[in-house]
Amino acid sequence: MPTLTIDNQTITVPEGTNVLEAARQLGIEVPHFCHHEALGSVGACRLCAVEFLEGPVKGIQMSCMVLAKDDMVIDTGSDGVLAYRAQVIEWLMTNHPHDCPVCDEGGECQLQDMTVAGGHGVRRYTGPKRTYQNQDLGPFIAHEMNRCIQCYRCVRTYQEYCGGKDFGVMGTRQRLYFGRFSDGPLESPFSGNLVDVCPTGVLTDKTYRYKSRIWDLQEAPSICPHCSLGCAVIPGARYQELQRRRARTNRRTNGHFICDRGRFGYGYVNHPDRPRAPLLGHRRVTWQEALAALQNHLHEFCELYGSGSISMLSSSRASLETQFLTKRWANALGSGQLCFEAHPRRDQAARVAASQAPDCSASMEDIRSCDMAVLVGADPLAEAPMLALALRQAARRGARIVVVDPRPVELPIDCERHAAAPEELPRILQGLTRPQQNAFASASEEFGGALGRALLEAKNPVLIGGSDLLGPQGCQMLLKAAEACSPTGSTCRSMLLLAGPNSFGGAMLSDDGPGFDALLEGMEQGRIKSLVCIEADPVADYPDRKRCRAALARLDLLVVFDCAATATVQEADLFFPTTALEEAAGTLVNNEGRMQAFEKVFSAGTPLLQSAAGDHPPRFFSRDIPGSHPQPAWTTLARLLGRDAELEKVRRELEKIDPRFDGLAGLTADSEGCRVVAPRQAPALVAAPASGVTASDQLHLLVTEHLYGSELLSDLSPCLQAVKSDPYVWLHPQDVARLKLVEGKPVRLCTSLGEWTLELRINGDISPGVAVVPRLRGTVVETLVPGSEPMLCRIEKA
Amino acid sequence: MNDVLLTIILIVLKLGLVLGTVLTMAAYMVLAERKILGRMQMRYGPNRVGWGGMLQPLADLIKLLSKEDLIPEGADRWIFMLAPAISTATALLAFAVIPFGPSVQLFGRTVPLVICDLDIGVLYLFALSSLAVYGVALGGWASQSKYSLLGGLRAMAQMISYELAMGLAIAPVVMASRSFSLTAVVEAQQTLPNMVRHPLAFLIFLVAVMAESKRIPFDMPEAENELVAGYHTEYSGMRFGMFFVGEYLNLIVLGSMLTVLFLGGWYGPLLPGVCWFLIKVLGVAFFFIWVRGTLPRLRYDQLMAFGWKVLVPLGLLNLLITAAWMIWRG
Amino acid sequence: MGLWKDIKGTFLPFWVTLRYLFRRPVTVCYPERKQPPAPRYRGRLVLTRDPDGEERCVACYLCSAACPVDCISMQAAEREDGRRYAAWFRINFSRCIFCGLCTEACPTLALQTTAEYELATRELLQVVCEKDELLIDGCGKNTEYNFYRLAGIGVVAPRGGNPGETPPEDIRTNMP
Ligand code: SF4
Ligand code: SF4
Ligand code: SF4
Ligand code: SF4
Ligand code: FES
Repeated sequence: MPTLTIDNQTITVPEGTNVLEAARQLGIEVPHFCHHEALGSVGACRLCAVEFLEGPVKGIQMSCMVLAKDDMVIDTGSDGVLAYRAQVIEWLMTNHPHDCPVCDEGGECQLQDMTVAGGHGVRRYTGPKRTYQNQDLGPFIAHEMNRCIQCYRCVRTYQEYCGGKDFGVMGTRQRLYFGRFSDGPLESPFSGNLVDVCPTGVLTDKTYRYKSRIWDLQEAPSICPHCSLGCAVIPGARYQELQRRRARTNRRTNGHFICDRGRFGYGYVNHPDRPRAPLLGHRRVTWQEALAALQNHLHEFCELYGSGSISMLSSSRASLETQFLTKRWANALGSGQLCFEAHPRRDQAARVAASQAPDCSASMEDIRSCDMAVLVGADPLAEAPMLALALRQAARRGARIVVVDPRPVELPIDCERHAAAPEELPRILQGLTRPQQNAFASASEEFGGALGRALLEAKNPVLIGGSDLLGPQGCQMLLKAAEACSPTGSTCRSMLLLAGPNSFGGAMLSDDGPGFDALLEGMEQGRIKSLVCIEADPVADYPDRKRCRAALARLDLLVVFDCAATATVQEADLFFPTTALEEAAGTLVNNEGRMQAFEKVFSAGTPLLQSAAGDHPPRFFSRDIPGSHPQPAWTTLARLLGRDAELEKVRRELEKIDPRFDGLAGLTADSEGCRVVAPRQAPALVAAPASGVTASDQLHLLVTEHLYGSELLSDLSPCLQAVKSDPYVWLHPQDVARLKLVEGKPVRLCTSLGEWTLELRINGDISPGVAVVPRLRGTVVETLVPGSEPMLCRIEKA
Repeated sequence: MNDVLLTIILIVLKLGLVLGTVLTMAAYMVLAERKILGRMQMRYGPNRVGWGGMLQPLADLIKLLSKEDLIPEGADRWIFMLAPAISTATALLAFAVIPFGPSVQLFGRTVPLVICDLDIGVLYLFALSSLAVYGVALGGWASQSKYSLLGGLRAMAQMISYELAMGLAIAPVVMASRSFSLTAVVEAQQTLPNMVRHPLAFLIFLVAVMAESKRIPFDMPEAENELVAGYHTEYSGMRFGMFFVGEYLNLIVLGSMLTVLFLGGWYGPLLPGVCWFLIKVLGVAFFFIWVRGTLPRLRYDQLMAFGWKVLVPLGLLNLLITAAWMIWRG
Repeated sequence: MGLWKDIKGTFLPFWVTLRYLFRRPVTVCYPERKQPPAPRYRGRLVLTRDPDGEERCVACYLCSAACPVDCISMQAAEREDGRRYAAWFRINFSRCIFCGLCTEACPTLALQTTAEYELATRELLQVVCEKDELLIDGCGKNTEYNFYRLAGIGVVAPRGGNPGETPPEDIRTNMP
C-alpha cells in the first residue's frame, strides 16, 4: 500500500494503482484522453503528464503509466506540466477540423474541454490538414474520421473489452484509421459503447444525430428496462421526446458499458401509436370519468358476485411501487386473485430465483471477477446481453467458461460448449448437485458431476442459469447445485436470468399467491368477472394465446393500465395510460435482488416532433401539453386507495410492512442500489411432466429470446427495427438431412398451437432433435412465447 | 346652534382645503421632481401627457389604479394590505397641527389657519413621524421577501436613529419659544427665524429630516441597486401608489415642519402669510430635489456612524449651550 | 486639507447641477425626430446567407445556449447532402434584451444584429419570429465567410477538397 503526496495531499492507495487513479481518488482530475477506468492505460495521448518532484521517478512523466510508489511527491499543475500539456493539445489540434458547430459531440467533447483548458485558441500550424473518407457503420454509429486524435480508446473498447472483430485500426505513421475494413454495420451487440468512449466526435450516436445538445437535454439517473440485469443508464430527453440513452457507471452491475438493446431501445417512449388518453370502450374520456367508471364497476362486482370476482395482474415491467400498491389495492378490495406475471412458468421460476440467499447470488461484478463460470440453459446475448460482456472480462482474466445448452449460444469469447438436449439439462443439474458422488446413473449426470468438481476446485465460481429453459424445477436444482459446488472457504454464487426488469420484485411480493393459470381457470369457470392488468400484457405473454383470448373474452370487464399499445390494450374495456419508465420515478429489483431506484427524466407528452410534424411549435399560448395524460400507475393506484401519491411514503410503507426490502426508503438513484436483505420462501413446485418420447419425424421445439425483437419495449423502438431479423427456425444438419430440407428455403413448422412458414437455418452447435425458433414480436411467429415447456413439433417442406 | 354649524363648516372647509392642496401638491411634487431631475441631467423629463407633461400625475394615477394588485404567496395578507395605508395616513394626519398662516377674520370670528392648534403640536408631529416607521417596517416584514425585509429593517434602524437627532435639534427651539404649540413657535419667530437663532439646530434638523424622508442620500431602505426596491419591492398597483404618495406627502410634511420650526412659518414681507408659507415649503422641496440630483447614496455604516457619532453628540452639545445661554439670559 | 477637499467635493456638485438645470437637454423627442443608429447598433436579429446563397445557420444551438434570457429555440436537421440546418428556428423578441451575446456566440456569422429597433406591439405573437421571418437574402455585415468551406468536412466540396486540406488518405496502403 504505497503512500504518496499529490499536490500537497497525502494518500495511500492499493498496490498497482497508477498515479492518475490515485490523484482521482483525491478529487484531482488529471486531464487525459486515452486512459479509461475499464480499459486501462496505454500512454497514447501524452496529455496526462505530471511532474514528479521526489521519489523513484523524477521529472515530467505520464501519470497513467507510472504506478504509485512510496515517497512520491507529485505536482499535477507545475509550469512545466502546463506548458507540456498546452503543447500536446496544440499538436492534437493540428489536423482537427474546424467543425464543432456541426459535431454532435459538442458540449460533451473532451477534446473541446481540454483545448479550452489548455488555453489553445489560435492555430499556429499553417500546413494542410489530413483528411479521411468516412464509413457507413450501420444504423447505430455515425463516423467522422477527420476528428480523430488517435487515442485508441475505440479499438480497445471494441476489440478488447467487447470482443468485436470487425472494427480496428489501420494505417501507418500519422495516417491511422479507425474503422472497419469496408463499409458495413458493426457486428458487435455492444457497438454503442463506442459513442461513450470516443472522447471526440468521430463515433457518435446515429439515432441521436443532430437532435440536441447535451446542455438542452433533460437527464437523470435511470435503469434500463429491457432485461432483468438492470444496467445503469442516463436517458436524455428534450421537447417531450426521449432522444438517447447512455451508460451510467455502476460498478456492481454493468460497470461502464451497456448493450445496444439497452442503448437504442428507448424509442418505445416516443412511439406514435402509444395510447395517451384514457379510453372507455374506444371512446376517449377524461381521467375523472374513467376513474369513476372503474370504481362503479368494481363496486358493482363486489356487490353482485363478491370481491373474489375481481382479479389483478401486474408484470415484471411494473415498478416495485406499482406492484406493491397493486397488492394493497387487491387487499383493500378483499380479493386474493392477484399475480405479477402472466407467464405461469416464468412466474414460478422468478419465485424460485427470489428464494436464493442474497449473499449467494452473483452480481455482474462477481461474474467479471470469477475464475470459472458454468452457464446452464442461459443464452446471455439473447436474455441478458451485458452478461456476455461480464463473462468476457472474466475470460480475459483467465476464467474457464462452460456453456451447457441445447441452443447455439454465441458469446464474444472462446468457451467450452456442450450441446445438451433439453431433457438432458435436468440430469446434468442432478449431477451438479452431487459432485462428490462416485457413480452416476447416466452420462449426463456424470458430466454434471465433473463440472461440479471443477467448480469445487475454483476460487470464485459462478453458476448461471436461464429460467426460460430450466423452468422452476431446473432453477431450484441450479440453486441446490450452487450450494453443493461451493468450494471450502468460498461460495459458488448463482445467477438466474429472469424475464423482466422487475420479475424479482413481483416474485417477492407474490408470496404464495395464485399464478395466472389459476386466474384463467377462474375466468373460464365464470367465477372471475373482471381483470385489471397493470402494465401487463397477458395476451402476448401467456404461452397459449388462444386460451388466454377466449378467457378474456368471457370477462365482464377488462381494465388495462399501460404505456404501450399492446395486444391486451386492444381488448380493454377501460384503458388508463401510464407513464413510461423514464417519465416517472420508481424502483426495480434486478435478477440478483438488487433494488435500484430511478428518477424521473421528463414529463410525459407527445413529442414536439410529432405534434408539430417537424415544424416549429404551434403559435398559440396554452397551459396544456398535448399528450400529457399518462400518469404513473402507482399514483393512480394511490388515488384509488385514497392516499397521497408520494413515492417516499409508499417506499417507507413497503419497508415497514416487509422488512426484506430494508433500505428501500433510503435509496437514491445514483447509488449502487442495495440487495433485498432476506430471500422469500421457496415455492412448492409440482413435478414437471416427463417429456414425451419423440417420434422419428418429431422434434423438440424450443422458443427462445432473441437479442432484438423479443423484448416488448425495445421491439417498439424504431432504431432497432433495422437489426431485427426475419423469423427463422434453426435445425441441426443431421435433422436437416434426415428430413430432406434445404437451407435458406422456407419450411413449415407444425405444432399443437398452429402452423407457420419460416426460413430454415442450419447450425452445427445446436443439439440434434431440437428446433429453435426465436421469438419475434410483430412477425408470423409472435404467438410463440419462450419459457414454456418444450413442445413437440414437425417440420416439413413448405 | 348657528355657532356650532359655523364651526363645523369652517372645519370642513379647512380640512378640504388642506387635503386638496396637500394631495395635489404631492402629485405635482412627483412631476416636479421628475422634471427638475431630468433637466439637471439634461433630459426633458415627462413631457407627453398634457401641456409639457402637466397631466402626467393623472396618467400615473390611472395607471396605478388599473394595475393588478398582487399579494405575494406567503405574505401576511392583512398587514401587507394595511401597511401602505399607515404610511399615507400618518403623513396626512401630520397636517392637522401645522399652522400655514396667521389667523384671519371670517364671518366675524377669528379663524386660525390651522386645523387644530394643539398645545402639544410638536409632540404630536413627533409621534406621527415615529408611527410612519410602522407602515414601512410592517410592509417590509409582511411581504415575505428578503429584499423587503432588509429594506424594512434598514428603514426602522435609520428612522429611529435620526429621530433622536431630530428631537435634540427641536428641543432648543421649543425651549426658546417656551411652548409646544406650533403656532406659538411660529409667533416666536416674528422678528428672526430660528434658522438664524439656532443655526446648529437647524443644520442637524435638516440632515435628520432628509434621513427621515428616506431620500437620497439617505435612501438606504429602498436602495435599488442592492435591494431591488427595498420595503415596497412586492407592492404593485395602488398599494405601491400609496407608499409613493406617502413619501411625497412626507416630503411636504417635513418641509412644513422645517418652515414652521426654523424658517419663520408664514412671516415674510409684502405677500400674505399663506403665500410665504407655501413659498418656503416649496423652497425646501426644491432643495430636497436638488440634493437628490446631486449627491450619491451613503453607505449604510456611514449613515449609522454619522447619526450616532456626529449628529446626536452635536445635538446634545447644542442643547446644553442653548440651556446655558437661556439661564445666563434669565 | 482633506476636510476642505471633502467639503468642496460635497458642495461644488450643487453648483454643477444648478447650472445644468438651465442647459438645453441633449436628448431628442423620439417619434418626431429619429436618430440613425450606429452601424453596430444591436437591434432586431436576422439570419443571413453565405456567399453561395445557402443558409449560414447550421443549428448548432450555441446562440440559444449563450442567450441569457433563453429566447432562441430551434431544431437541427440534416439535409440529404449532409448539410446541417435548422428545421425551425424561433426568436422570441418579446423576451430578447438585445444584448448581442448570441451573435458573438454564432460560429458561422449567421446570426447578426440589425439597426431595426421599432418592434413594440400589442400583439405578442407578432414578435415571436420564425425562421422565414428571420432569414434574409444576403450576407449581412460579412460578405466572405463561408463556414462549410473552412469546416474541414465535406459538404459543399468533396472530402479533402476544401482549401488547406490534403486529399483523403488511402487506408489500404502502407506506402508513405
Ligand atoms: S475514433 Fe475516437 S476513440 Fe478512436 S482513436 Fe479516434 S478519437 Fe480515439
Ligand atoms: S444488458 Fe439488459 S439491462 Fe443491460 S443494457 Fe442491455 S438490455 Fe439493458
Ligand atoms: S440579443 Fe441577447 S437576449 Fe436577444 S436573442 Fe441574442 S442573446 Fe438572447
Ligand atoms: S449560433 Fe449561429 S449557426 Fe449556431 S444555431 Fe445560432 S444562428 Fe445558427
Ligand atoms: S491518459 Fe496517459 S497518456 Fe493518455
